Amino acid sequence: MRIRFALNGEPCEVEAPPTRTLLDWLREERGLTGTKEGCNEGDCGACTVMVTDEAGARALNACILFLPQLEGRAVRTVEGISAPDGQMHPVQRAMVAEHGSQCGFCTPGFVVSMAVGHLNGRTDWDDVLAGNLCRCTGYAPIVRAAEAAAEEPAPDWMRDVPPEARSATSVAEGGAPDAPGGYADTGGDWGHTAPMAATGASREGDPGEASEAVRPESADALAAWYVENPDAVLVAGATDVGLWVTKSLRDIGSVAFLGGCADLKRVERTAETIRFGAMVSMTDVLAVLRETHPSYAAMVRRYGSEQVRNAATIGGNIANGSPIGDNPPALIALGATLHLRRGDERREMRLEDFFLDYGRQDRRPGEFVEAVSLPASAPAFRVYKLSKRFDQDISAVCGAFNLAVENGTVTAARIAFGGMAGIPKRAAAVEAALTGRPWTEDTVTAALPAFAEDFAPMSDMRASAAYRLEAAGNMLRRYFADMSGQATDVREITA
Amino acid sequence: MTQTFKMDEPLPRLLDETRQGLIGTPMNRPDGPLKVSGRADYAADRLPDGTAHGVLVRATITKGKVTRLDESALAGIEGVVAVLSGPNFVRNPAQGMAGESPVQPGPRVDYHGQPIALVVAETFEAARDAAQRLVVEYDDAGGAEVDPDSASEVETDDPDATGDWDEAWGRAAAKVDVTYTTPGQVSAAMEPHAALAHWDSGRLTLHGSQQMLRFNRKELADAVGVDPSEVRILSPYVGGGFGSKLGIGAEAVSAALASRDLGRPVRVVMARQTVFDAVLRRTQTSQHVRLAADADGRLLALGHDDLVSNLPEESFAEPTTNASQFTYGAAALRFQQSVARIHRTPSGSVRAPGEAVGMVVLEAAVDELAGELGMDPVELRLKNIPDTAPLTGQDYSGRRLADCLRQGAERFGWAQRPKAERDGDWLIGCGMAAAARKNMLTKAAARVRLTGAGAVVETDMTDIGTGSYAILAQIAGELLGLPESKVEVRLADTDLPGASGSGGSFGAGSTGSAVFLAARRIREQLAAQLGCEPGELTLQDGIARGANVEKSLADLVQDELVGEAEIASGEAAKSHLSAGWGAHFCEVAVHAWTGEVRVRRMLGLFDIGRVLNRKTATSQAVGGMIWGLGGALTEELHHDPRTGHIANRDLANYHVAAHADAAGRIEADFVDDRDDWANPMQSKGVGELGISGSGGAVLNAIHAAAGVRIRHLPATPDKVIAALEAAGR
Repeated sequence: MRIRFALNGEPCEVEAPPTRTLLDWLREERGLTGTKEGCNEGDCGACTVMVTDEAGARALNACILFLPQLEGRAVRTVEGISAPDGQMHPVQRAMVAEHGSQCGFCTPGFVVSMAVGHLNGRTDWDDVLAGNLCRCTGYAPIVRAAEAAAEEPAPDWMRDVPPEARSATSVAEGGAPDAPGGYADTGGDWGHTAPMAATGASREGDPGEASEAVRPESADALAAWYVENPDAVLVAGATDVGLWVTKSLRDIGSVAFLGGCADLKRVERTAETIRFGAMVSMTDVLAVLRETHPSYAAMVRRYGSEQVRNAATIGGNIANGSPIGDNPPALIALGATLHLRRGDERREMRLEDFFLDYGRQDRRPGEFVEAVSLPASAPAFRVYKLSKRFDQDISAVCGAFNLAVENGTVTAARIAFGGMAGIPKRAAAVEAALTGRPWTEDTVTAALPAFAEDFAPMSDMRASAAYRLEAAGNMLRRYFADMSGQATDVREITA
Repeated sequence: MTQTFKMDEPLPRLLDETRQGLIGTPMNRPDGPLKVSGRADYAADRLPDGTAHGVLVRATITKGKVTRLDESALAGIEGVVAVLSGPNFVRNPAQGMAGESPVQPGPRVDYHGQPIALVVAETFEAARDAAQRLVVEYDDAGGAEVDPDSASEVETDDPDATGDWDEAWGRAAAKVDVTYTTPGQVSAAMEPHAALAHWDSGRLTLHGSQQMLRFNRKELADAVGVDPSEVRILSPYVGGGFGSKLGIGAEAVSAALASRDLGRPVRVVMARQTVFDAVLRRTQTSQHVRLAADADGRLLALGHDDLVSNLPEESFAEPTTNASQFTYGAAALRFQQSVARIHRTPSGSVRAPGEAVGMVVLEAAVDELAGELGMDPVELRLKNIPDTAPLTGQDYSGRRLADCLRQGAERFGWAQRPKAERDGDWLIGCGMAAAARKNMLTKAAARVRLTGAGAVVETDMTDIGTGSYAILAQIAGELLGLPESKVEVRLADTDLPGASGSGGSFGAGSTGSAVFLAARRIREQLAAQLGCEPGELTLQDGIARGANVEKSLADLVQDELVGEAEIASGEAAKSHLSAGWGAHFCEVAVHAWTGEVRVRRMLGLFDIGRVLNRKTATSQAVGGMIWGLGGALTEELHHDPRTGHIANRDLANYHVAAHADAAGRIEADFVDDRDDWANPMQSKGVGELGISGSGGAVLNAIHAAAGVRIRHLPATPDKVIAALEAAGR
C-alpha cells in the first residue's frame, strides 16, 4: 500500500504492507530510534509521536498505529521536536533542568506528549501525560518541567502542515497464510480471547487468495465496499486491532482504514440530541461530554490515556463489543440509539439490544456502526469507573445510573454495568426494585439484593466476583450520596 | 600501578576543604540533552548492516524436557536463518554479582516461560513469526509445584536469635503477633532487555542493557565458554534496571551464541511479555512478625520470620529481615527464613531486596504495637533506637534516624495531623514509618586523566538513570578544581577499569570513591609539581595554588597526568554498621463506598551522609517512595495456579504507579551528614532507601483513616472494602 505523509517536516511516500506499524517503520527502516518500544501495546507511551491533521496536533502511540492511518497527515518524532539545526525545544530544556529524564527510556515519549500539550496550550499536565509511564522519577520532576516550559512560545517548526490526503486507494496485497494459534493471552478478557469477534471479519474458513487494503473516503464508499467484502476488518483507531497484529500476531486479511471517511467524524447536535459519527475520536467525544455530561466526561478522562483517546473512536469501542468497554454502560443508561448501516440499508436499535452475548453482537455481515445518538441533557446521569489503578487501567466495574425522580418517587430508571457480565448489561431487577418507590436510602438498601439477580460476575485478576457485586451495589449507594450533594468523585478530594 | 585502598578507618573530609563548589550541588545530568532529543543510543537502537534478528522461544510447560524442535512449519517463512538451542542456553539471568554463568539446564524445563530456543531470521517479523510457529515437543514431567504455600520442598534456616525469647515475651505489657503477605513484583524497567552481539577474530562484543559490567563480562564469558578477556560489553545508556539487569540473561547469551554460529551480528530484543517471563521477579513473601513491649513502649522481643520462594538451584533468597535486624533493639530477637522451592519464574534482586517488602511489614507491625500501647508511633520508634547493633554488637556509623523522625514529624505537621476525619465519602488519616537500608562498599576501580584542557574519568561503571555521569563528573571536578564543562565521563565499557556496577545502592559511593582516590593521586602529582604538600594545594576553576605559587592547569600540566585507583571494603565494614536512615509521613483518603485509596501527600526525610548531587539524590528518594506507594496499593504479580505462569505479563495489568497515583504532594529531603565510616566521601547510598518503609506509611495511614489493617498487600479496593465491611463500617 502506498502512503503519503510528512515526517519531521519533510514529505514522505512509503510503500508498505497495510499493517506495518509506524514504530517499526521508524526504528527499523528509517533509523529514527529516538522513538522507543516499551510495551508494543499502547500502555506505556514510550513511542509517542505527534500527528497533525486538519483537526490539529495530537499525541499518538506509534506502536499501534498502522502506516495507512497516516495518509495525508504529518508526523513528528522526538528527533523532530528539536529544531532542524539541533536547537532544543523549550520542553526539552526544561526536562533536562528539572531532572525529568533519568534512565531516559520513557523520555522521548514524555517529550513528545509534553510538546504537543505545549503547542495546544494545555496546562492539565497530569492528564496530558497520563499515558506515559515512568519508573524512575515519580513524575513530579516531569510535571515541573511541563510547567516551567509552559510560558515559552511554541517554536515555529512545531507547526506542521499536513499534505493533502490522496483519493481513495485500493491496492491488492498477496494474502499470507494465517498464523496458527498465536498467543492470545495478553490480557484475559481484553477482547483477545475472540479478537475477530464483532469485527465482521471471520477468520473461520478460507480468507481468500488475495486480501485487499482500502481507504474509503466516505460512508457511502465504505458501505458499498463492505457489502462486497463482509469478512474484512474495519480499522478505526487501531487501539485494539493494533494488538491483534502486534500481540496476537494475526494476519488480519482484507482491511479498510476508515480515517478518510470525513462524514463519519461528524458530531451533530440539536437541543435534544447529540449524534456522534462512528469515527469521532474519544478525545472529541470528551470535549462534547465536558459540556453536556460532566460525569461521563470524568470517566472518559480515565478511558485509556491521552494517546489512546486520540486514536480510539466511539464507534470502534461499541462495535468491538468488549464486556469491559467503558462507553456502552454509559450510553445504555442514557438510552442511546445505535445507527447501523449495510449498503444503503439503515436500521436503529437501543444500544443494549446490540449486545447479544459474549463476543456476539446483532450485526449482519457487511453491516457497520455508522453513528450513535444520545440525549443532549441528563442531569441525573452519573458514571462511575472502578479500577485498581486510577489512570490507565481497565475497569473492574463500570456503572452508569440515570434515574428520573418526580415528587420524591423514582419514575424511571436506566442502570447499566460493564465488567459484570459477558456483555455490557442493564440491571433490570435493580431498576424494577427502585421504580415506583420513594427515592430514599431505605429504597436503595432494599434494592441491593437485586444485583445478584441481575449479575453473576466472574472472578479474575481485576476483581473477584464477590467484590464486583459488592462494588456494584456500593455504586448505587454512591449515586444516592452523589445526588444528595456529597463529595464522591475520587479526584475531588483535596490534596 | 593501581593503588588499592581498603576502607579500614575514616579519612579526613577532603570534600569539605576543596573549593570548586560542585559537590552536593543540583548539577544537571550531562547526558540529559541526548536523552530528551532521542539521541542516546540504547542497546536495541543499534542495527549494523548484516544484523540478524533473534526472537526467544519460551517453554509452555512448567517442568520436563524439550524432546524435539520441529522446524517443518517454518519452511514457508522467508528469511528464517536458524533455530538455536543447546547446552550453553541459560535458564534465567544470573543473580547479581554472580560472576559466573547462570544455570544452563540443557533440554530441561524448570518453569513456564523459560527461554528454550532462539529463532534467527533476516527480519524481526520473520523471526517472531517463526518463533510462534516452531513446534516444540516436550516430555512433560507433570506435577510441578507452583504454589509456595503448599510446596513440599521448603528449606528452613536455623534462626538468628539472641536473648531469652520466652522470658521477654512472657513479661510484655503489649504484644503484636501478625502475619502479613506481599505478592510477587517485578522491576518493570521501561527499557525491555536487549542485546546486540558480534564476534571479531574470536573476540565477542556485546552491546547490552546491563547494570554491572565487571561481573557481566565474566558471566557472559563463562556462559559461552571463552576467557573473560575475549569479551567486551558496552552499556552506555540503560533504560532502567532496578535489579532486572544485574546479571547476564538469556537475550545476551543467546545473541552471543547465535552470532558466533552464524558469523554475523545478532540482535535479540525481549518483548515486554518475555521480560515478565524470563527476567527475575521479586518473590512473594509471607512474614510472621511478633513484637512485645513493656508498658513504657520499650521493645522486649522482636521476631520476624519469613517464607519466600525460588527455583531449585537458585541461591538467592529475598533477605526480608535485613533491616529488622538492626533498626530496633530488643532483649530477645529472632529471625528465621524459609525458602519454598517452586517452579515459577525464578526470583532475584528487585530494587531494595529485603527492605522493600520487609520494612513495609515491620513498620506496619510497629504501628500495630503503637496502637496496642496507645502510644504515638513516632515516640515508640524514638524510644527503641538501640545504642549498638543488636545482633552483632557493632557500633553504628552515621545514624540520624532520630533527627529524621523528629524533623520529619515537624515538617509534616504530625502533631496537628487529621485523625480519622471524614470529608464527604472520604475517610482521611495519616501514617508514618521509619526507613533503613544497609549501606555497602563494593570493590571498584576508576582512572582519571588530566591534561591542560580538562579531565576525563574512565570506568566501566553504568548509569542506569541514577546519575553516574553527573556524580562522577562532580567528584572529579571538585577534587581537580574544574568546572563541569571541563570534565568528561566515559562509562560502561569493560575495556575501562572495572567498577562496582549499579546495584545495592553502592554505585555512587563505591565507584565515586574510586574516582575520588584516582583524582586524589593526581592532586598529589600536581602538589609535587607545584612544590607544595598535598594538604596545601588548592584547585579551583583550573587554577592551582600552593607554596605561594599560582599556576593555571594549562601551564602546569604539560604531559597528561593519570591517576588510577581501586577501593575495597575493609575493617570499617566489620567495626561499624553503616546504613541509610529515614522517616516517611503520609496522608491518605479512603473512599468509604469503593475502597479506593488516594495518597494526598507524602514526605520522606533521609540521612544519606553527604549528598553528592541534590537533584539526583532527591529524585532517587522520591522515585523510591513512589515504588513503595505502588507496592502498597497496586503492584502485584498473578500466577496461573495450574502452571505458575505469570498471568499479567504487561504494563496494562501489572500496575506500576501512574500519574494520578503520584499527583499529590510527594517530597523528599535530607538531613545533611557525614558518614566517616562509610567511604572516603562520607556518603551513603540512596537508590533503595526511599522504598524502605514507604509502603508501611501508606498502610498505617489507611488504618488511621479507616480503622482497618490491610495485612495482605497490595491494599486494592476489594480488600479495603472487605475490611470495612468486616469492621462493620
